[in-house]
Amino acid sequence: MGFLDVIRGKRDLKKPAPDRLFAMSTAYVTLEESLGLKTTGQAALVFQQLDTADFAQLARDMQELITATTQESGTKVEARDDDFGYRWMVLIDSDFDDLVAGLNAVGGELAAGGYGDRILAAVFPFDDSQGRRVYWIYNYKRGSFYPFVPGGGKQSRDNERELRLKAQVEGELPVEPELERWFPLWGAPV
Amino acid sequence: MPPPRKIGRDPGLTARMTLTLFLLGALYVVLIVAMLAAGVGAIFVGVIAGGLLLAQLFTSDKLAMHAMGAREVSPQEAPELHAMVERLCVQADLPKPRVAVADTPMPNAFALGRSPKTATVCATTGIMELLSPAELEGVLAHELTHVQNRDVLVMTIASFFATVAAYIVQFGFFFGGGGDDDDNAGFLVLLLVSLAVYAISFFLLQALSRYREFSADRGAGIITGRPSALSSALMKISGTMDRIPERDMRASSELAAFYIFPPRVKSALGSIFSTHPPLEKRIEKLAQLESQLQGRIAA
Repeated sequence: MGFLDVIRGKRDLKKPAPDRLFAMSTAYVTLEESLGLKTTGQAALVFQQLDTADFAQLARDMQELITATTQESGTKVEARDDDFGYRWMVLIDSDFDDLVAGLNAVGGELAAGGYGDRILAAVFPFDDSQGRRVYWIYNYKRGSFYPFVPGGGKQSRDNERELRLKAQVEGELPVEPELERWFPLWGAPV
Repeated sequence: MPPPRKIGRDPGLTARMTLTLFLLGALYVVLIVAMLAAGVGAIFVGVIAGGLLLAQLFTSDKLAMHAMGAREVSPQEAPELHAMVERLCVQADLPKPRVAVADTPMPNAFALGRSPKTATVCATTGIMELLSPAELEGVLAHELTHVQNRDVLVMTIASFFATVAAYIVQFGFFFGGGGDDDDNAGFLVLLLVSLAVYAISFFLLQALSRYREFSADRGAGIITGRPSALSSALMKISGTMDRIPERDMRASSELAAFYIFPPRVKSALGSIFSTHPPLEKRIEKLAQLESQLQGRIAA
């Protein structure tokens, strides 16, 4: 943010950066084969819901369109809401590449409707070999990925594991360099 | 084909804010010239001014936290508050600030810190009980916009020379007289200039603070996409602000500029004395933003 923005009081939302999402497609080979992380067959796009008439319409249209276009790949779409009023467009498909492509399509629809700046994140849940849940979260505003591993207790996360994951995939995924931007998503409905 | 991406700008607000900053700057130039003319050494002025400014920037947030009785809370202690701040930070593209809670029934929230990396966002227990989640989200987004706009830094720097002028005035009253006649005349001019600078900058600073409030309201509406939730929060807060007597109001007036709502009960003086714009004005602006959001496809 520039000096002039500070003086004038900045009021724009940062535009989404969808282009790096596909890095997850190629990184999945490493995640699966070297790190033993398996897709749960789900992935989600998280966005803010607005109380505007055209947004409600757009959300309905989007779900229909995605259902139609993903029919041949066999991807299913479900809309879930979390406790914070955010909408999760959950895609269900055992093929990981189809999930990534599907998320990109959902994001593209939102952007085409003029609501691209409402997209928060794409969430990829994985299970490791011990059956523990590991999330890779793609921050749309930053265009970077970061790991989120919920720990044993309430609101605790396994930072050691997260930092190890970062080191393990750094060459393949654009990992968020600032640790204070590794925002958790507690109670993720995927 | 995506519709225009900008949610209506507010060029009037930007212009008024820039003009206010310009006038403040011009005023301070007058003060510096007067100080130099009065024979105060240029290096002395620079060193003293720089030192004071740094001291103010680096100590003010700790002092303010202490004055408010605010305490930093961990994600385990306040999971909902943390989760709410985190999501807003993603949306606003900010690093996560420290999150603090002040244990007071007075419904209020404030942001501290000179940069986004050192920022603290604080809510009182009163505001968390009073507001619905969407309303609290609006209030927190307002505070995060203050952080994003670096309002603490802007206001500290903007008010800095006013503080210097005030010191000179006090100094003048204590040590008035003495010295030879030539020096005395120069010092008298400096005293008068300082007095004028202090008086005029007071109004300019109040105006600047009000403009930054409007900016923060606007930013909050854009971040949450729900300006009406913030309006309703403001109405709720102002309602109880008037009813609850002035308890726990040891906060300094500098701190007041970063409150979501000033802790004073309605001032009888005109709005020119206020760091915050009147409620009706804020709600009116938020209503405009809401209609822009609602009509953005048609526009």
